[in-house]
Amino acid sequence: MPPSIHPVDLVATLRQKNLTPAIIFLTSRRACDEAMQAFERSQVVLPKARQEQIAGVLTQVTAQFPSIAEHPLIGTVQRIGVAAHHAGHLPSWKIAVEELMRTGSLDAVFATTTLAAGVDFPARTVVVTQSSIRKARDFTDLTASEIQQLAGRAGRRGKDLVGFAVITPSPYIDLTVLTKGLTGQPEAIHSQFVISYPMVLNLLKAHPREQIQSILAKSFAQFQLNQRTAVLETKLDGLRAEMEPFGPRVCSDWITQWQIFDQARKRKKPRGPAARQESPDVAARLNFLTPGRVIGLVRGRGIILRQYRSKGQHAPMVTLLREGGALNECPASIVTQVFDRTYECEETSTYPWTTPQTLEHLTHQLAELPPRLPILPILIHPEEDVPLDSSIIHTLGDFPCPSCPSRQACQRDFPRASRVRQEIQRHTKSIQALQTSLWHRFQERIDVLERFGYLNATAQLTTDGEWARLIRIDHSLLITELIRAEAFGAIDPPLLAAIMASIAHDDDRPGSFPRGSAGLVTLLFQVRKLAESLMPHEEPPMLRADVAALTERWVADQTLTWIGLARLTTMAEGDMFRLFARTIEFLSQLKTLKGTHPSLAESADRAIAAMRRGVLEELP
Amino acid sequence: MTTHELERLLLQQPVSLLHRLARGRISRHFRSGKRKLIDLLLHASAENRPGLESDLIALIEEQTRRQPAAPAEKLPQAQARPRAVAFLPTAPRPHKTEDHGHHEPPVSLHEWLSGIGVPPAQPFVPDAWQVDALARLAETDVVVSVPTGSGKTYVAIEATARAMRENRTVIYTSPLKALSNTKFTEFSRLFGPDQVGILTGDRRENAQASLLIMTTEILRNLLYDAAGGEIDVRLDTLGLVIMDESQYLADPERGVVWEETLIFCPSQARLLLLSASIGNPQDIADWLTAIRPTPCSLIRHTKRSVPLRAGYLHPNEKLTPLFRTTGIPYGQPHLLHPESKRLFAEYEEETGPSRSR
Repeated sequence: MPPSIHPVDLVATLRQKNLTPAIIFLTSRRACDEAMQAFERSQVVLPKARQEQIAGVLTQVTAQFPSIAEHPLIGTVQRIGVAAHHAGHLPSWKIAVEELMRTGSLDAVFATTTLAAGVDFPARTVVVTQSSIRKARDFTDLTASEIQQLAGRAGRRGKDLVGFAVITPSPYIDLTVLTKGLTGQPEAIHSQFVISYPMVLNLLKAHPREQIQSILAKSFAQFQLNQRTAVLETKLDGLRAEMEPFGPRVCSDWITQWQIFDQARKRKKPRGPAARQESPDVAARLNFLTPGRVIGLVRGRGIILRQYRSKGQHAPMVTLLREGGALNECPASIVTQVFDRTYECEETSTYPWTTPQTLEHLTHQLAELPPRLPILPILIHPEEDVPLDSSIIHTLGDFPCPSCPSRQACQRDFPRASRVRQEIQRHTKSIQALQTSLWHRFQERIDVLERFGYLNATAQLTTDGEWARLIRIDHSLLITELIRAEAFGAIDPPLLAAIMASIAHDDDRPGSFPRGSAGLVTLLFQVRKLAESLMPHEEPPMLRADVAALTERWVADQTLTWIGLARLTTMAEGDMFRLFARTIEFLSQLKTLKGTHPSLAESADRAIAAMRRGVLEELP
Repeated sequence: MTTHELERLLLQQPVSLLHRLARGRISRHFRSGKRKLIDLLLHASAENRPGLESDLIALIEEQTRRQPAAPAEKLPQAQARPRAVAFLPTAPRPHKTEDHGHHEPPVSLHEWLSGIGVPPAQPFVPDAWQVDALARLAETDVVVSVPTGSGKTYVAIEATARAMRENRTVIYTSPLKALSNTKFTEFSRLFGPDQVGILTGDRRENAQASLLIMTTEILRNLLYDAAGGEIDVRLDTLGLVIMDESQYLADPERGVVWEETLIFCPSQARLLLLSASIGNPQDIADWLTAIRPTPCSLIRHTKRSVPLRAGYLHPNEKLTPLFRTTGIPYGQPHLLHPESKRLFAEYEEETGPSRSR
């Protein structure tokens, strides 16, 4: 079985079931173009009348947008009644396809999912072949809202009694995502409020700093933060109710009081041998395990050479000389009996902890010990609470707690009360954070702008700030810094357009492009360095040299036609168009700086005029 | 609605409705009984009570709308059910599953494909929600959240015509240049080319017309310029701002522009926000009510004007309905048609396990 249905068969099936016109959503531009090629190879041709209808609509659109006339796909579309519609096409061609769909002249359109969000043309049927889309280099599942947007194109008001959403499997499909999306509720939307440099400058131009907080409070972001605050506040109310029985006692803030007392008491606890976790019998025996003492083990006997504490756990340890001359390091608990006999033992500070003579002597003695030896009676104190030392009671005397009447109640309630109090403090802090987070972010931006000299110390606009606030596009900080660094001194329009294009373009689709002039390469190098230095304050743009070179060519060479330009690169026409449109948008922002930077504004104006020709002029 | 009233209203509803209400609000809600479910719902909705209330009312309305359409003999049964449950809690309830359509035979392809065609031409009659939206716009700001293709444009056109009759400027914003261009062509045809202007980042035509189409960024810039002290007559006579595709408010990169625009929108202008179906339109209406002098009404509507059916097309060209029901079983994604289920399982198997999840 093929991984997915062949586009020609797909359209044939839809036609046969009377489900046309249809929009078929495919995963990529390439898939759309390949589907069109498959149709070109097939022998399916529309009847004459339908072909004439398409030709008629196309002539009408061409009257408005002459560039369509030479579009290579016109013949195919007319013959087969199917078209592709994606971002790689010129807007004028897309308008033509939309018009054809609106008049009902086409049977099917292959489109990418970007269409769902963009223009608005419905059909009787929508075919979905995927359950995920590419977002920022990664495939993510379609959301219920997106699926309903796609499916929503099915069924034309006034032209259809019912609409159809048809799912056909491809390797990119997860049926449950789609069925859930079709039957589910659309997702709630969340604010995406970000504070940009132009926003800060423009707000501070119109309002003093004291008013900003109340303006930020009007944002949807703050509205949604307040909703979260409300949740926390109900939780807080619950906790406060829980806190009720732990109100003031003998002292008003007994929790803190008890906490400090408790800590002081713990710190003062005697830290002698008794504090160590040893069983009473081992502790009692420990005093007798001196060097030279004969002791009994589970099997055999031995002589103690040394007593010490282990490094990590501080467990009591002994070094033993055993029968047969073996030396062992053992925990003191290994000792089962302490005999009433000791030998002279000369101690040394290194292994074997005694002189060789003594060792030899002791080994000899051990071998000759009589089988029965008298056992040393050792009194074992049972474990008991060590009463507080009088000196400790003295230092704790500052606390009223030991003799307080509510001492028992405090001791009992303290764990719970302190936990609840901690929770309350935590919630109060997060509520504060929710209330002030926007303002803090705003303040951070103010600090950066102050450092760069767009704002003075009282957060008022400086002369630089006055013009910088007019640059209200992405990467505004880079652009204003470039202007201040006089990188655009007396710049030629082609070079200016090229730099703006490299800042504006945010697509990483690869391709082959013409080469830029030497001047462009040097300037772009400088722009890159500046962008890198601004990195902590603003995400640097892609600054692609290839798209810059393409723009430079288009502006510099006025004899170049659109078709000629398209031959110089593998970039899709639609992408080229978008690049230039966005560049013009950026340039027109520079044009607003007429008052302060007349030569730059002039250059931008000339660049815009030079860019608007051919397709860019005719098009909306 | 007070908590007590809401609780009582919830108690009167069948459990199935409560489960539908709990979807997306409570995880594993299918495990809890009715009483527990109501508690959980009240608890979970503490942050968005209006959202819960509006959803509840929408569901109740939907149910009452559906009931008259159901076969007549089911009605007394449905009425008798609460009592039967009360007295015989252990009694089997076969009719309950019947309500969900589990035992109804799945729809046939023939039935599913029937009814294709062009509706007879009839004079255009606006839908009730469209009339309602226009009526409310006379007094309040309006947020419209309706499915794609329900006729939002009609509301925009009527509201524009009304404001223009009163000699007020109208600004229509859309997120995309392509959409702005389409609307410019459409409105020029309707109101006359001299009445309509367009302002986008790279295009500027007839900028002093009484109906201005622009991208939202341009409106934001106009508002900033006005706040910075520049005088703009167009903003002084502004009577209506229409924001199309307002769900862009949640766009990661550009959403902030919508917020800025709405915060600084002149208070004398009415707002008309047109949006596709979103989960929390009430939030937006509440927000606008909170920050603007005029209150904001919500027009929400989930029913499509042209009914939608879902199908499954196998790579071997076999077409089947996707679900057991003719239409889309909202809230019940598991009601797959046995044939589509079988075919898709076959597809998964043949294309290899690496492709299935």
